[in-house]
Amino acid sequence: MIEVEALTKRYGRTTAVDGLTFAARPGTVTGFLGPNGAGKSTTMRVVVGLERPTSGRATVDGLPYAELAAPLHAVGVMLDARSVHPGRSAYRHLRALAQTHGIGRARVREVLELTGLESAAGRRAGTFSLGMGQRLGIAGALLGDPGTLILDEPVNGLDPDGVLWIRRLVRELAAEGRTVLLSSHLMHELALCADRVVIIGRGRLLADASVAEIVARSERAGTVRVRTSEPEPLLRALLERGAHVTPQEPGVLQVRGATVGDVGAAARRCGVTVLELSTEAGSLEDAYLRLTADAVEYRTSDAAGAPAGGAR
Amino acid sequence: MSAAVVTGVRPVGTPRRGVTAGGVVAAEWTKLTSLRSPWWTAVVTVLVAGVITWLSANASSVDPGFVPADSISTGLLLAQLGPLVLGVLVGAGEFRTGGFRSTFTVVPRRWPVLAAQAVVTAAFGLGLAVVTVAACVAGVLPAAASRGMTLDLAADGTPGVLVGMVLLLVGLALLGLAVGALLRRTVPALVTAIVLVFLLPVVLMLASDPLIGGAASEGSGLTVTGTVGVLLPGTAGQLMTLPAGSTGMDGAPALGPVGGGLVLAAWVLVLLGLAAVRLRTRDVT
Repeated sequence: MIEVEALTKRYGRTTAVDGLTFAARPGTVTGFLGPNGAGKSTTMRVVVGLERPTSGRATVDGLPYAELAAPLHAVGVMLDARSVHPGRSAYRHLRALAQTHGIGRARVREVLELTGLESAAGRRAGTFSLGMGQRLGIAGALLGDPGTLILDEPVNGLDPDGVLWIRRLVRELAAEGRTVLLSSHLMHELALCADRVVIIGRGRLLADASVAEIVARSERAGTVRVRTSEPEPLLRALLERGAHVTPQEPGVLQVRGATVGDVGAAARRCGVTVLELSTEAGSLEDAYLRLTADAVEYRTSDAAGAPAGGAR
Repeated sequence: MSAAVVTGVRPVGTPRRGVTAGGVVAAEWTKLTSLRSPWWTAVVTVLVAGVITWLSANASSVDPGFVPADSISTGLLLAQLGPLVLGVLVGAGEFRTGGFRSTFTVVPRRWPVLAAQAVVTAAFGLGLAVVTVAACVAGVLPAAASRGMTLDLAADGTPGVLVGMVLLLVGLALLGLAVGALLRRTVPALVTAIVLVFLLPVVLMLASDPLIGGAASEGSGLTVTGTVGVLLPGTAGQLMTLPAGSTGMDGAPALGPVGGGLVLAAWVLVLLGLAAVRLRTRDVT
């Protein structure tokens, strides 16, 4: 269980995280989504105690991270593939982490096997590809068999096989009752493996809801797409009915405020041939772009109202 | 490369051991010994100590008043750089490479890591120091043999010098660790340590020379530059390698080997303390 309450982190005049509140619950994969520089990594670093919040708090299982007696058993952390000394072998890196908590060699071998690194265990981490570095990071996170996992961009640099593996892994970890917080900039990736999504932009919370709820908020969700040989008469007919119509590519209209039935009936009344007629499903990507676009607008008006000299 | 998804060896929530002091020391020992640089540093240190001592003893052996034991510590003049570099690598290496993120997420209280690094640096440094001093002793032997002299390590003062040499090398390794941990970057830390240990004493010595306008040592025999000079970690540590009762340096208070050792120890403790404060109070990013 990860709880972030009114978390703010400033670096000088720059506010990286601004009053952020959310929770990641046991048995759930929580996706953490936001554009670059939104504050995802900063939030994660604060949660694991590498950085102190300017105000607010972050706790794991009810305790600030630094007060955990056995952090490795409580939280598995993978922040950055470059969290390993490049001159040290994968085995020795994991072994050193394990020794702090008195975890034996057997478990080190186990996580190496689990992440498919057993053949590379003796190689220096500096010679690893990005994907292998990610696997080593995940091996370190699993070392203490923790109840909570914090993974920053875990699929970054993985081959399709590795991506599939991560997806199954996080689903399985959550099914075992663990809390998984997973950041990504790949929205479709989160749509496939997250239960809930926390979206932030410029350090502020934009959305905290289930994947289905977010998708339903999508711009396109519930709109009707119709392709016809003569769009003009249909466009007029639909506008008369009070629908919102946006012409798209030649012959295609996007209709908001009308069902497929309404559009079909309208087409029949004005005698045009319908070539294609469907309700569009929203996508997480769409919803995400819309949410972050709002954040951009909000930020602009905010800056305009603020006194001159903002650090932008 | 896909692997079966088997994650747990124990069910979630079973009480398990947390971070222990012994565990952190064991982890730091694994980290130190699993890199190549400490071993290379050690090999070069031992070789330099042996070779320089050998050259210097050979040069001195033509002197009618040659005393083999007096040449033992000559190799340290250059070889003491080795433990200093070793310490800096341990102290700053984590920060240079990003390894600190793993380290401090696993030990979030942070200072036990620094304490453990001091322990393993002292232990590795002690082993290195003993071998280095042995190389110095071995370096003197050919010159002594050429004059038909034997090297009596139990002779008056010599055991003290040998112990002092070992302590100097261990002390410098810890000084390097402290500077590295405080500055967190290898090159600035290395430059700072070298300036502190090697360069400043020379600068102060030149500044105190009456011929170039330095203050002559009158009255008490103490000068500001001489006093400051002997309180620098390198110079103070050097006093440990002098036989007991030998006159110290011009214009400086006579600290003696013990006093010199204490000054070096004070430097190490203060700098490690500052590094610990920085670790506790500042973000590590």
